[in-house]
Amino acid sequence: MIFSNKKKVAIDKSLYDRLKAVSEVGGYSSVDEFIVHILEREAAQFEEAQDEEAVAKQLRGLGYIE
Amino acid sequence: MRTCIVNEPEPADSQRVTQLYVGCVLIVVLACIWLRATASHGALVSRLDHPVRIAYIGPGAGIALVGSFLVVLTALVSAFMAMLTWPLRRVWRALRGRRALRNARVRRVVVLGLDGLEPSLVEQYLREGRLPHLAQLQELGSYCHLGTTWPPLSPVAWSSFATGTNPGKHNIFDFISRDVRTYLPTMSSVSIAGPRRNVKLGRYNLPLTKPAITMMRKSKPFWNVLGESGIFSAVLRVPITFPPDRFHGVQLSAMCVPDLLGTQGTFIHYSDRGDAGPMNDGDLGGEQIIVERTGQGIRSYLPGPTNPLAANNETLKVPFSVLPGSAEGTATLRVDGQEIALRENFFSDWVRFSYKMAPGMSMKGISRFYLKQMNGQFSMYSTAVQIDPDRPAMPISHPTVYSSYLARQQGPFATLGLAEDTSSLSDEVMTEDAFLAQAYGIHEERTKMFFDALEKVRGGAVICVFDAPDRIQHMFWRFSDRAHPALRGRENTHRDAIRDMYVRMDKLVGETVRQLGDDTALFVMSDHGFKSFRRCVDLNAWLLEKGYLRLSGDVKHTDESYLKGVDWSRTRAYALGLAGIYINQQGRESQGIVADGREKDELVTELVEQLAGLTDPESAKIAVRQAVRREEVYRGPYVDAAPDILVGYDPGYRVSWESAVGKVSQHLFADNTKAWSGDHCVHPETVPGVLFSSLPLDSTAANIVDMGPTILSLLGVETPKYMDGTSLFAQTGSGESN
Repeated sequence: MIFSNKKKVAIDKSLYDRLKAVSEVGGYSSVDEFIVHILEREAAQFEEAQDEEAVAKQLRGLGYIE
Repeated sequence: MRTCIVNEPEPADSQRVTQLYVGCVLIVVLACIWLRATASHGALVSRLDHPVRIAYIGPGAGIALVGSFLVVLTALVSAFMAMLTWPLRRVWRALRGRRALRNARVRRVVVLGLDGLEPSLVEQYLREGRLPHLAQLQELGSYCHLGTTWPPLSPVAWSSFATGTNPGKHNIFDFISRDVRTYLPTMSSVSIAGPRRNVKLGRYNLPLTKPAITMMRKSKPFWNVLGESGIFSAVLRVPITFPPDRFHGVQLSAMCVPDLLGTQGTFIHYSDRGDAGPMNDGDLGGEQIIVERTGQGIRSYLPGPTNPLAANNETLKVPFSVLPGSAEGTATLRVDGQEIALRENFFSDWVRFSYKMAPGMSMKGISRFYLKQMNGQFSMYSTAVQIDPDRPAMPISHPTVYSSYLARQQGPFATLGLAEDTSSLSDEVMTEDAFLAQAYGIHEERTKMFFDALEKVRGGAVICVFDAPDRIQHMFWRFSDRAHPALRGRENTHRDAIRDMYVRMDKLVGETVRQLGDDTALFVMSDHGFKSFRRCVDLNAWLLEKGYLRLSGDVKHTDESYLKGVDWSRTRAYALGLAGIYINQQGRESQGIVADGREKDELVTELVEQLAGLTDPESAKIAVRQAVRREEVYRGPYVDAAPDILVGYDPGYRVSWESAVGKVSQHLFADNTKAWSGDHCVHPETVPGVLFSSLPLDSTAANIVDMGPTILSLLGVETPKYMDGTSLFAQTGSGESN
């Protein structure tokens, strides 16, 4: 959908069925969650890390660790 | 898709001019909407921005904030179509709604969450007859302890409440997580990245895409499951709901919603003397601004985020002045065309103001002011500048318009995740009484929105979490613990503050019960209990002492945060956050040295055995009741993200302030002398929550993961397989419709 925050990716139905079975065993709430988890994990290897200034800013005011 | 173009007869010149004019106006209006939405959203995120560019995959971030011209156009067309089809959808929903609750045991389930209510205090006050409404609920239905999570922290426990799963399936293990590439901490529940594309036009820098705000809590909340069965839910201020979930219902986000500066809450102290900048060396969430004296009054500004439309990264500011009033101890605040009456030692109402980003474009913020002293030394406090719920710069509700609806119903309200300002009390900028006034003010705002939801949602689920019990116990526990180091040498001025809070929460329960009918089940619950926090345990100092962690230059301590002084080539384990210890694992951590498999297993076993029973030499008391390897308490796809070892402290102890942010202090044990004197990050068996039910429970061996399945069963919906919890009612309610 054009204004959706999500994009669709087409995969083979037999692969989808396999993923569905595996996601249930793995404790995921859905096949989508399983696929997103795998993709996020792989993508993270190629992404830049957050810098220290941004970290400090985001955590500022978190009473539990001050 | 193929598009057909049909030739039309040419209109007369005047018609063409009119059409051109209308077309231009429409384009300008739409462009303005696009820029305002993208820019105000981008402004906030520019303060949160970092080089990470994560594609936005995952739960929706609301519907009102749009990122491109085309999206705005499509949204308008969509809205028009929605209006046309409204009658049909209304009929469909009515039919679906009727079917939705056909297997329900009750028409409505209400959950009143009282964060951090401690069972031992509840039971004491019940015995003393101070909590008549909770006593009535106990008599009518059930009361029991509610087992909590490892670690017993609100983001972890409420995520288990929402999803019915253990943390290994929802991915929230602490307030903070760590980046294995840099060893830096990260917010565990949300990832925010700025716009991916901008275009520079003269002095302006226009964002072309919207920022990516990603929920890190995984699995699926039970309100989404209810929605799939056509059952409506109102979910108010349940922790870890930012960005908001998208489901059949309404939701107002809570814990971890940032302020307009992109922090978890930066209060401002205005003074005419001292140094400007972060207070207390930046260790606390306060910023001091030195005001400019103008005769009798002062002039200053409200700091905002970086202007996302300005190419020069200028910081947005809203100027204001304060002039003395006619009566002693009063003043007038002039800000953004408004005149606000101030009185010493009282909070103002919420004040709305606009940061001007470009002609016709602004971002809205809200603050409450507390004038401490007008004459002599000027001193004034301002809450963190918060997202205006009426015109949110970020999605803080679902649908986005819901926060606006609430703001118009009841006026502006606190939107910050951790809205009760504990930092200003710790920093002694605010007094205990001022803190209580703020906390109860927020409590009243929450009560109004809760009762509005109770009135409007007659079938389905209404869930609202109140934070005052947690925040007040954190900051006032010292007054009810004579042995607390933070009370040493000072007068016990607030001995009854916690007791009074429990009585007040009981009153809320009574008011809630009066709103409910026979067809509603009520749960009053807390996510964890509370204990005194007298002594700090520096896990990093312990690891250093035992040789598991080494500092560069072989120094014995470091005041640098975020593990900066650590020599990773010789470090096998490190601590960060509140939950436990990580192994410096090869192939996972960027500079890991411990091989996965046998070497790591042996190290974890060694650490777990050594930590258990760790004793405080000063008192000879046991500080660590138990340490566990994560696989013992978690199962699921996200276990890899958890600390390798979880540390369960005995009541009275908690991880030190230094260790939590990756410092290594000189002392393994130290007194906690801060106002933050109560805590719950101890062994979970010592801090269960409470659960009151208006219906008698069939099982009182209750855990927080059982709440989702229990609510689903009452509303006639089967528990999904991924959930770990089970219903506390023996019968699932099938065919027992009232």
